[in-house]
Amino acid sequence: MSPSTAAPATPGPAGPGATTPMVEVRGLTQRFATAGGTVTALDGVDLAVERGRFVSLIGPSGCGKSTLLRVVADLITPTSGQVLVGGRSAAAARREQDYGIAFQSAGLLEWRTVARNVELPLELHGVGRRERRARALELLQLVGLGDVAGARPSQLSGGMQQRVAIARALAESPPLLLMDEPFGALDEMTRERLQDELLGIAAAAGTTVLFVTHSIPEAVYLSDRVVVMSARPGRIAAVVDVDLPRGTGTDVREAPEFFARVTDVREALRGAPVRAGASA
Amino acid sequence: MSGAAAGALRRAGVVLAAVAVLAAAWELYASFGPADGAGIAGVRLLPRADERSMPHLGTVLSTLGDPEVAVPGARTVGEAVLSGAWTTLRLALAGWAVGALVGAALAVAMQRLRLLEDGLLPWVVLSQTVPIIALAPVVAGWGGVLTVGPLAWTPAASVVVISAFLAFCPVAVGLLRGLQAPSALCEELFASYAASWRQQLLRLRLPASLPFLVPALRLAAAQAVVGAIVAEISTGTRGGIGRLIIEYAQQATSSPARVHAAVWGAAALGLLVAALITLADVALRRTRATPGGPA
Repeated sequence: MSPSTAAPATPGPAGPGATTPMVEVRGLTQRFATAGGTVTALDGVDLAVERGRFVSLIGPSGCGKSTLLRVVADLITPTSGQVLVGGRSAAAARREQDYGIAFQSAGLLEWRTVARNVELPLELHGVGRRERRARALELLQLVGLGDVAGARPSQLSGGMQQRVAIARALAESPPLLLMDEPFGALDEMTRERLQDELLGIAAAAGTTVLFVTHSIPEAVYLSDRVVVMSARPGRIAAVVDVDLPRGTGTDVREAPEFFARVTDVREALRGAPVRAGASA
Repeated sequence: MSGAAAGALRRAGVVLAAVAVLAAAWELYASFGPADGAGIAGVRLLPRADERSMPHLGTVLSTLGDPEVAVPGARTVGEAVLSGAWTTLRLALAGWAVGALVGAALAVAMQRLRLLEDGLLPWVVLSQTVPIIALAPVVAGWGGVLTVGPLAWTPAASVVVISAFLAFCPVAVGLLRGLQAPSALCEELFASYAASWRQQLLRLRLPASLPFLVPALRLAAAQAVVGAIVAEISTGTRGGIGRLIIEYAQQATSSPARVHAAVWGAAALGLLVAALITLADVALRRTRATPGGPA
């Protein structure tokens, strides 16, 4: 492994000496047979997500962003094209638990306590009782829910349930986190707080994140790179690189760069051309 | 007292009050209703209230203490009803258990294979339209033809099979619904964990199906009791409450209260079985400590 290069230049096949991308999608086409005929959800999509980066997929509904995420997760088998996760096939990556996943709805098992929900993936993969309990409590502390480990999911608010789902996705310390509109159903204040928590957690662990959202500010705020998709058929319309002044004490959400990138993404969504590598 | 216990007591009170109202209505009509009934132009609209048609509750109760036959040392009617109910209870529980196992196996198989669900489920539902009266002689006919290992086919086995035939359907249908209850999202989650079918069944589908399974088992228990009683009657199996009802009905001229005593026994049997399932459900919930009911 070579040392990670600062700001990898272009996405694409890894050249000699470069690190393999965490996610690499080449020529992906996805068709579904429906009652009304065949629908092309994704058409010739290429995507590379470098390790340690936060990449968002944004686009109108029906653009195939969730489908793309599910193909990367190997929950859907693509019609054609190649998907590599951490350098191996998506199927192998799923078997080896290379990723953790979270959805818009928390999907907690109602009959399990909060802690046992977080333990679920560990339990399925044969981790011992004491070890997985310790890991679950550690993760619940991380997401600020250390005191509700014994509660039932139904006793928690929507934001807390989503935190549990994130803790569960992190249970096996995956190098990749796949998230499908995880904050979509939350109120604005909870959403912003969870965004900050997610950024902190991902940065601390060096986790790569592929994040599906339909919120432009959310995509810009969270991401190093926003992939803008267009619908029918789903294609990548533009890529907006984001470089916000993080960690400088300023409120990023009120920085001029933030608004500039929000504008870029909005224009890309409307179909206007975006300046290449627009990160001034 | 906790709220749950108070609620349970209140419900029990309502049930008792309902029984009391029913008993009072019966008594009132038996005491003051027209002995020959009443009707218009030869069509009887009100039932007879004579001692043969509607014996007083007290008469039925006192019949329980009468000896069954006029021989010294003969057992009382009450003992006969109890013994019959006990025999039928055991047969019905066996039928319920067999039916529940078969139903559960079918449900799991149908969940696993869509093809089986499409092919089998209509037959499962249709099977319940077969009248037991027609089925009973066929099953009873296995006696003398079929042996299970070293055991010959007994009339009791016929009763168990017929009872199971009624009991399996609610379990198969109810459990299948429960196994299919988890959301697509939960299924994707388990797929993302690369969980095996077995893990998915044990950790996701079965726990999710419990709120469906318990009512299905309760319904199956009621069906098993009905099945056992009807099977006893239609196969002529001795010893159970079903046979006793027939025997006492034939004695209706001399002691009309007896058949009512036997019917009470059958009703109590159904209640007892339903209560057993409810108790099991309460115990199960306590260990799971989860709010019940499909979400």
